[in-house]
Amino acid sequence: MDETYDVAVIGAGVVGAAIARALSRYRGSFVVVEKGHDVGTAASGRNSGVIHAGINCLPDTLRARFCMEGRALLQEWCEELNVPYSICGKLVVARVPEEMAGLEKLVANGISNGVPDLRIVSPSEAAALQPGIECFAALHVPTSGIVSPYALTIAMAEDAAVNGVQFLLGAEVTGIQVHEDAFAVATSRGTIRARQLVNSAGIHAGRVARMLDPDAPEVYPCTGEYLILDRQVGERMKMSVYPAPRVANAGLGVHITPTTEGNILLGPSSEYTDDPETVCCTRDVTDRLIDDARVLWPDLPEHLVIGAYAGVRSKLAAPGVGGFSDFTFHTTPGVRRAVHLLGIESPGLTAAPGLARYVLDEFVLPQASYDPKPTEDLRLRRWPDRFDELPEAEKVRRVEADPDHGDIVCRCEGVTKREILHAVDNPLGVRTLSGIKFRSRASMGRCSGGYCLPRIVEILQEERGWSPDDFVLRGPASPAFAGYLLVERHV
Amino acid sequence: MSEPKRHTDVAVIGGGPAGLAAAAAAANAGAEVVLVDRNPRLGGILNQCIHDGFGLHAFGEVLTGPEFGERYVARATEAGVDLRVSTMVAELSADRELVCTSPGSRTRLAASSVILAMGCRERTRGMLRIPGTRPSGVYTAGTAQWLTNMANVRVGRRVLILGSGDIGLIMARRLTWEGAEVVGVVELLPYPSGLPRNISQCLDDYGIPLYLSHSVTCIHGVDRLERVTVSRFDDDRRPIPGTEFDVACDTLLLSVGLIPENELSRRAGVLLDPTTSGAQVDDRYMTNVDGIFSCGNVLHIHDLADWAAEEGARAGVRAAEYAAGGARREALDLVPIEVGPGIRYVLPQATARSAKRLLVSFRVVEPADHRTAEVVAGGRDLASLSLRHAHPATMVQIEVDCGDGLDAERLEVRLR
Amino acid sequence: MSERQMTCILCPNGCEIDVRWTGTPTDDTIRVEGNLCPRGVGYALEELTHPKRTLTTSVLVRDGVEPQASVKTAKPIPCESIETARREVATATLDAPVTIGQTVVDDVAGTGVAVVVTRAVPRRAAERSAG
Repeated sequence: MDETYDVAVIGAGVVGAAIARALSRYRGSFVVVEKGHDVGTAASGRNSGVIHAGINCLPDTLRARFCMEGRALLQEWCEELNVPYSICGKLVVARVPEEMAGLEKLVANGISNGVPDLRIVSPSEAAALQPGIECFAALHVPTSGIVSPYALTIAMAEDAAVNGVQFLLGAEVTGIQVHEDAFAVATSRGTIRARQLVNSAGIHAGRVARMLDPDAPEVYPCTGEYLILDRQVGERMKMSVYPAPRVANAGLGVHITPTTEGNILLGPSSEYTDDPETVCCTRDVTDRLIDDARVLWPDLPEHLVIGAYAGVRSKLAAPGVGGFSDFTFHTTPGVRRAVHLLGIESPGLTAAPGLARYVLDEFVLPQASYDPKPTEDLRLRRWPDRFDELPEAEKVRRVEADPDHGDIVCRCEGVTKREILHAVDNPLGVRTLSGIKFRSRASMGRCSGGYCLPRIVEILQEERGWSPDDFVLRGPASPAFAGYLLVERHV
Repeated sequence: MSEPKRHTDVAVIGGGPAGLAAAAAAANAGAEVVLVDRNPRLGGILNQCIHDGFGLHAFGEVLTGPEFGERYVARATEAGVDLRVSTMVAELSADRELVCTSPGSRTRLAASSVILAMGCRERTRGMLRIPGTRPSGVYTAGTAQWLTNMANVRVGRRVLILGSGDIGLIMARRLTWEGAEVVGVVELLPYPSGLPRNISQCLDDYGIPLYLSHSVTCIHGVDRLERVTVSRFDDDRRPIPGTEFDVACDTLLLSVGLIPENELSRRAGVLLDPTTSGAQVDDRYMTNVDGIFSCGNVLHIHDLADWAAEEGARAGVRAAEYAAGGARREALDLVPIEVGPGIRYVLPQATARSAKRLLVSFRVVEPADHRTAEVVAGGRDLASLSLRHAHPATMVQIEVDCGDGLDAERLEVRLR
Repeated sequence: MSERQMTCILCPNGCEIDVRWTGTPTDDTIRVEGNLCPRGVGYALEELTHPKRTLTTSVLVRDGVEPQASVKTAKPIPCESIETARREVATATLDAPVTIGQTVVDDVAGTGVAVVVTRAVPRRAAERSAG
């Protein structure tokens, strides 16, 4: 780490990964510093995976602008990277006439933001679009979609990595000093020097910003809990279903969202938290998620809940204060070459490629001249097709070409040994069980890894020489085991 | 290397005790049988069950799981079953075509009858919605058993076990023997759910406390498990405020129920019983899909492998008969067998009216002493069995003599 | 009259038996109720005078397809010898191939009972070719 990088990006969530990808198209030395032991370990891996249409953004805000710019670019990038996404549409449901005003407000927002094809539909039309939903009327939003948030983040980061961006994982930023020509960023893995800084550290962005500027705004963490339903029910949900906003409220209620893998998500809830590191699911909230979702979907099969998770949003509005806050690009007079992205909550995922483009165009590129790389110098790292989703004839062909595709390791998700090995051999050097899980899908099914964890242990011991101590859940602090059971005694 | 067979009389999915016994019985009844198992070694779950208590009924001996499994592997081998290991069934269709996948090979196998013997999976933390963080160190008991007994892995050092099912009890003793500190077993119900002998041998013998009417209400630890919160629960299965206490531990094992693994069955159109989570079958162990049979843990969770194997043998004979030209389902006049007072579930859920003898398996809803289980048809007692100590953990079987056939509209099993 | 309740562990019925005796428990002095079969009487007597258990555990295997073989004492051994037996067995390492019934320890913890293998472990194949 003797060199001075051109740009250091702090935080490898979806926004940091998008910025890294955008940077990688230029000649220069770029590094992403991430406190977790993988990319997308915080909010970016714990959200609804929605490609927002733009109906929930107040017009003439940065949120609205980057939602609309971002969603177009997002779909292009997903096509390039082969990241799973689907423009499946959304129904925003009014259960009673009093809720129509809320729908109309969304329509007005949408029209201002340039959202096409919005239509208020009758209960029978709503039922034709999405069976099983009870309503008085609904707003159909055909351009709303879903994307795999962790696939997106990992794919963008790995694509950046194979195009020369360095990733320093497990490195928490502890302080930043300003020198004449560069910043010295102190991390738990040593000090990085960089001429320019982009702070996309999510819930930690406020704290990082204040390392350079004590007047930078505070970011308030706000938890959202989710429940996941078995893929078996995925067939029943063709599109997202949200309740209409109560007019007085800024946000929406409990959502029912399908995922690109065929699961269904219920949530998120919304509670401010003092301790974003201890992200928790609670009994009260998860019970409420089911009760609230059942109002929209009376046949909700509760017995098919297979998991729960919680993510933390970055809010600029303090607890109790409420109200709207826009995306904020904070800079400090006198400290050039650093920009802090604060309060990137919904529609942050949708906006990410647009935010990346903006950060480069407005803050990074004007400061120094970076030549774009010629296309022939670029490599494209595509998210692999999932074996389980291929047509049978193609599966047979792949098994014949590669025997390890014949060995199914995760029975619930149909993940093969080859996919496990591909996941662990990733260009970021991530060697965690969580890293394997999000790249391969193994252990994301109904048995939560009960069958595949033993198989993964066998495979990595056999094929990569791992011992029990090498297996960690998310990093060195979360070992899976406590060593060997029996050790050979040498008398 | 020769081409794998494309058609067989009987295909058995799963090489645990039920599947092996079914395959051997079908082959001994004259059928051509292929058995597929996804593991490199046959025996299914038995290989990791290194404790004893198997085989008392089947062989009159007290064997460990692997030894018990070997007996059935030998039977199946001697009977001439085509045993294919490291082979998983990826797809099963209603017309009994299997897609089998193994390293380097993905082929189709058509069968005249199919026996589902896939066993079960464990209930997870996610299904229970146990609140808290998601640290490492939380395992289902069966997975921990595999790691301990097959992979030489120490799962943790200070262990709490949720659920007094047999697997959890066995692991309490196993981990204690291997130097871990097992700080307790926590059970939601007011009575233990495992076999009494395991409470005695695994907990009492080692002074491991059993907390009845308690459960885990929160998991703590950002990275590795640090402690759990345990609360007392009332009769409505709700935590009683003020009764919480924390238990420091780095490992939590979940022994909170087994679920028959019927994803393949479901996709083939097999109808499941919501109480057992296994297939609905008739007295031949045939499901609603013609030629697809079910037995063992995938049909209903057994407490004894001996019974799972016996059930498999019975199903194997029937599957062989069907392959040789047995009656299709719609040709039968089926009489439903229903659950009466005190009974949680009954198998089979229906019988052919013409059946002469019937073996009914059932479990009671809650522990009860000095009761009588009865099978009644149209007001008439067909069979009864006195039960000194009935317990939901112990499956009961009654043999029913149907005489010249049944003339009632339904049968009911009940507890008096 | 002395009394004890216990669970007979000879078979999965797990009969809850009531045992009563006067003086030293012997065949003549004990009375057992609640047992479904006569073996319960013999069990009760043994539990009162010389309780025994089967030890089941695992040992390391070198060059096997699996790292461990499961083992057991060929017969139940006195309760008080279990921990000593376990420690003795834990020091053993076998070389693959390992067969069912193979003796691991002839006479464990001075009980006169052998410890034998309960799960065969074939030898692992020769070194995999690179790639």
